[in-house]
Amino acid sequence: MSEPILSFDDLTVQFGGVRACDSISGRVDRGSLFALIGPNGAGKTTLVNTISGVYKPLAGATVHFHPDGKPVEDLLTYRPYQIARLGVARTFQNLGLFMGENVLTNLLLGRYIHENTRLISGGLFTRGAVKRELAAREAIERVVELLDLGEFKRDPVGDLPYGVQKRIEFGRVLAMEPELLMLDEPMAGMSVDEKQDMIRFIYAAQDELNTTVFLIEHDMGVVMSIADHVMVLDFGQKIAEGTPAEMQRDERVIAAYLGTEMAEN
Amino acid sequence: MTTVESPATRQYPPTYRPSTLQRILPFAIAAVVPFVLGATTGDVVFWWKALITVVVLAVVARLAWKWTPRGELTHREDMRLWRTPGDRSWAAATTFGLLVLPFILASDFTPPMDFPWATWFAVVNLVLIFAMGAAAFNLLVGYSGQISLAHVAFLALGSIVGGIVGVQWSGGNMWLALPAAAVAGAVVGAISGLPALRLKHLYLLLATFGFHFVMMLVWREYLQEYFGFVGIRFKGENSPRIASWLHWLPGIDPDQNGEFVITGQFRWYWVIMPITVLSILFMVNVVRTREGRAFAAVRDRDVSASLLGINVARSKLMAFAVSSAVVAMSGTLASFYIGSRGEDSFNVQTVLNYAIIIVVGGFSSIQGAIFGSAFFWFLPEWFKWAREELWFVRDIDFLSDYPSEIDLAIKGFLVVVILMFKPDGLAGMWRDCKGWLGRRLAGSSR
Ligand SMILES: Nc1ncnc2c1ncn2[C@@H]1O[C@H](COP(=O)(O)OP(=O)(O)OP(=O)(O)O)[C@@H](O)[C@H]1O
Ligand SMILES: [Mg+2]
Repeated sequence: MSEPILSFDDLTVQFGGVRACDSISGRVDRGSLFALIGPNGAGKTTLVNTISGVYKPLAGATVHFHPDGKPVEDLLTYRPYQIARLGVARTFQNLGLFMGENVLTNLLLGRYIHENTRLISGGLFTRGAVKRELAAREAIERVVELLDLGEFKRDPVGDLPYGVQKRIEFGRVLAMEPELLMLDEPMAGMSVDEKQDMIRFIYAAQDELNTTVFLIEHDMGVVMSIADHVMVLDFGQKIAEGTPAEMQRDERVIAAYLGTEMAEN
Repeated sequence: MTTVESPATRQYPPTYRPSTLQRILPFAIAAVVPFVLGATTGDVVFWWKALITVVVLAVVARLAWKWTPRGELTHREDMRLWRTPGDRSWAAATTFGLLVLPFILASDFTPPMDFPWATWFAVVNLVLIFAMGAAAFNLLVGYSGQISLAHVAFLALGSIVGGIVGVQWSGGNMWLALPAAAVAGAVVGAISGLPALRLKHLYLLLATFGFHFVMMLVWREYLQEYFGFVGIRFKGENSPRIASWLHWLPGIDPDQNGEFVITGQFRWYWVIMPITVLSILFMVNVVRTREGRAFAAVRDRDVSASLLGINVARSKLMAFAVSSAVVAMSGTLASFYIGSRGEDSFNVQTVLNYAIIIVVGGFSSIQGAIFGSAFFWFLPEWFKWAREELWFVRDIDFLSDYPSEIDLAIKGFLVVVILMFKPDGLAGMWRDCKGWLGRRLAGSSR
């Protein structure tokens, strides 16, 4: 019934002696909210990095992206910036913002792939360049309103509180209007209220932009309440996959999480 | 009892839209008055002109301040280069200043204490040329974060192109040489940027410094092949002139032989100033549109930039190309202005001078280059004047015995002081002053 937007198979990433991802396979259904969970160091970020082209997996892996109404793309043949242009966007666990630039500039960078002003026409500030610049600003205006960032527009991102920065980074990927949105722990370090806002924003993105969301999250409560499908990693291996309810009952998942909790205490 | 007004009640109405005429008028006054003042001769005493100048300056700044859109700005208004009242006010004042300055400097008025008016004109022109090159350099090193020491190589390239296209081919056609230098600078600049795809920081610095020496070699070979040790003469028969079909332009009356040669500080000013202003505006526009934003993104985090769809390699090469194109153009312009370029016109010292200019002016601020080069050129002039004219300095033998060493020491000391207390340089100080003044004025007016 549901068609995939992303499918990966036999994906292995090795750093020296560490197998950060070990032969992982999976698929993300179009329009769904896919959650990837697992203890610290499980390889979640590595998986996202590999899909977005930052790391190269070992030979034998496949990563296929199925854009709407277009032929399937083999992401492993592309460089990161090309993957972004295909419609796969992601946020960073530790923020990928440009701290010295203001909020407006950061958000406008999200429109980079949709504008096509060249260096010279930009420098001459031609009519066309102005028109496209205006269009970009109008496009991010929606994001600014949705995320309630209006009051910060001219502030350097580095001066703003962490929760707001997380929101800005989310806003920037929304401005890219991707088909697949990968969020690496967007709610880490947030208060309960901020988390609730973020959940609202994620839903809004899904509804308004028809985006598929690939979410990495530590907060089990959040994952269980919003995810359609959950994949659990531990030590680079996929240990379980299924609906949130199934995961809550899965013994290996419980063991993995209890293990980390015991280690942390 | 006095009532204390809160700042809010003293401010302008929250929303206000000037008419188009009101928006243009201050700038129109700023543009016209200098020429009227320049054209009036005879009975009008210098002091009257000086008074008019000051009054016009104040009026223009005030009107630009007053007639600024306020309140919730539309996107189009928000995008304007001069958006706030303070910005518009400075822009109008600067426009007026730039246009009135040559008339002041060209006047035969001698200020008290022999302040050297005439030599300052040459310095002003040099400041403008250097500001253009330094701004371009800052676009690359400061704004795009690609550490390079190859800028003097591009000044030399500008001289080479000036020599080939401007002197050898066309016998003094600077107007042809400038675009040629831009094209050559862009191409060679992109090539010189290739190491940046692999290297960063100190390694990139060394690689580009290597490029400097390669270009010095080319420069020497070129000179010896075609011009011998005397170097290239860009003056005399090679001076740029205004083509005869343009002689109808106002203010251009040909000399006896029917030519209009660009010589003398006054004429050069009207060539250099627009070129500098336009190229700086070009770079400012680059920085605030799509590709310029990408430069900043690549500088801050290249992985993050690439995941936004920015082709990092291409973006870096473009930064090199655009910066080098403008630097090469400033090299050509400087060659024609200075009049001759020889074997020792470019050296490692010049590389350092530009580095001082952009660091003092304000790293990663394109406008900072203007402050930096003013600092660089005016300070020694001012020291010289002080040594000769100020009685309490003149009598210290030590200072006049070692003038250049003392100059360097003071300059170096000031550089250190500025950087310690204001890491964002003179441009940062300027921003602070503007902010402070802006707040004061916003509080007190109306
Ligand atoms: N660039 C790298 N070089 C070497 N090792 C790496 C690199 N990136 C990740 N690793 C290692 O790979 C493993 C998985 O790391 P990863 O960041 O993917 O975990 P994670 O699941 O995202 O954990 P967290 O919940 O802490 O974010 C870890 O052991 C980590 O040390
Ligand atoms: Mg992680």
